[in-house]
Amino acid sequence: MDAIKTFRPYVTWANARGAWPDMIFSTRVRFARNLEGFPFPNRAEPRQLAEIRRLALAAAKRTGLFPKGHYFKIEALGPLDKRFLVERHHVSHALASAVLPAGAVVANDEDLSAMINEEDHLRLQCLNAGFAIEEAFKAALKLDEALGRELPFAFRPRFGFLTACPTNTGTGMRVSCLAHLPALSRLGQMPQVLESLSHLGVTARGIYGEGTYVLGDFYQISNATCLGRNEEDFCNNIDRVIRNLIRQEISARETLLKAPLKLKTEDTVFRALGLLKHARTLSYEEFMQNISLARMGAAMGWNMGLDFSTFNQVTLLMQPAHIQAAAGRELNPAERDAFRADYLRKKLG
Amino acid sequence: MLCEECREKNAVVFLKLAVNNKVTELHLCPACAAKKGMGFGLETGAFNISDIVGNMSGYFKDFLPPEKKTLRCGACGLKYSEFKETGRLGCPDCYLSFEAQLGELMSRIHGASQHSGRVYQGGPALKLSKAEKARRLEELRGALHDAVAKEDFEGAARLRDAMRQLEAPRGRD
Repeated sequence: MDAIKTFRPYVTWANARGAWPDMIFSTRVRFARNLEGFPFPNRAEPRQLAEIRRLALAAAKRTGLFPKGHYFKIEALGPLDKRFLVERHHVSHALASAVLPAGAVVANDEDLSAMINEEDHLRLQCLNAGFAIEEAFKAALKLDEALGRELPFAFRPRFGFLTACPTNTGTGMRVSCLAHLPALSRLGQMPQVLESLSHLGVTARGIYGEGTYVLGDFYQISNATCLGRNEEDFCNNIDRVIRNLIRQEISARETLLKAPLKLKTEDTVFRALGLLKHARTLSYEEFMQNISLARMGAAMGWNMGLDFSTFNQVTLLMQPAHIQAAAGRELNPAERDAFRADYLRKKLG
Repeated sequence: MLCEECREKNAVVFLKLAVNNKVTELHLCPACAAKKGMGFGLETGAFNISDIVGNMSGYFKDFLPPEKKTLRCGACGLKYSEFKETGRLGCPDCYLSFEAQLGELMSRIHGASQHSGRVYQGGPALKLSKAEKARRLEELRGALHDAVAKEDFEGAARLRDAMRQLEAPRGRD
């Protein structure tokens, strides 16, 4: 648990702020970059991967953008440390399972981070609280430009920034917002919403990114394509799509608050709150399903006893590795569920 | 991509099924997926989004233009057929080696095949470790040997330049 101990329990990017803090948890912008002269990670030899990591970590330090930053050799970390970094959104599942030389750099404020030797040599990201596309884009771009002065990136005029997977080629940029859409989910409208997104060059993923389950009605909404338009256009497109999604979610919430659904909605929300407050054992999935409803209840104006910043922080703190960090030791799933229920009761007062 | 069932609506549900050790892929629109009894589990909010958004390797197989069996990247040795299998390129030079094929693929994925975002002005030469320098020199020496044997003197000159640049103290831009 050495890596975990270097982090504070609360993160700035989980504070509620911006327009619609009840619906948009956070905004992320990432750039995929590779070094000229090396094969992509999937084809590089272990000693080349080690060399890339050495060069990338040194370059990240020289940018001065990671004061008091955290530097990790992923394959040297224990499973709990890795899981914690995944839950913190600094490391992907794919990187966490790396057995060959891989790395990560995380800024002390946890807004900027870089993954080394994931699918690409570098994945640079900025994570900001709330709906903040322009701000996250500018910060991520600053990191990209600073590292691009320290390391030679693979770039060609025709295809732009070159990446291992052609879906990222071009700008190498993915802009995403973590959106909470409980009302659309409850009304069964998500399949149509996802279909309409696919026509707009936008995709939806689960809470931990590619290939992960949707939990607690949280969706990562991001651009599906990276080539043929400039970075600002991609940002603007996501911005438009998110605003549209918010309008749809608001209208779905209005439907849930009108007869004949109002009583049922109120009952469901308060049952969820009761479960969160009184359960003696609580799995992460059950927690997510119920906190989602309580969060929606708070947005509908009912007193849930929590503000949105606390909702967000609690949502992070209840994750499996975070629970074990709070307990200060490794717990088996049953112990975890009991600890989670106690810990949550204290937080809810 | 159209739904494989009705061939009318766009497929948004991409399913991979393992039947008798054979992997079958299905691309369906929401209506047909529902008809096939594939519930989304939306009540509980727990379903795998990757089933919906799609599996890229299947996507590549469907859309890649046919290629010559022998096509491979001169720099990293990746065969074009391997790329079709995995959907992953091997190195920056693959983009040159497979430029024609990738142009078509990019149009299908991104709706464009020309970058119009930020332009990168280039970065500094890397301060490589001795081991990596030695590895690269060894590689160049091998290629030089082949070029001379094939009487490709232009290629050999290029390789000699590359070796000289690598051996220069601290490297040049």
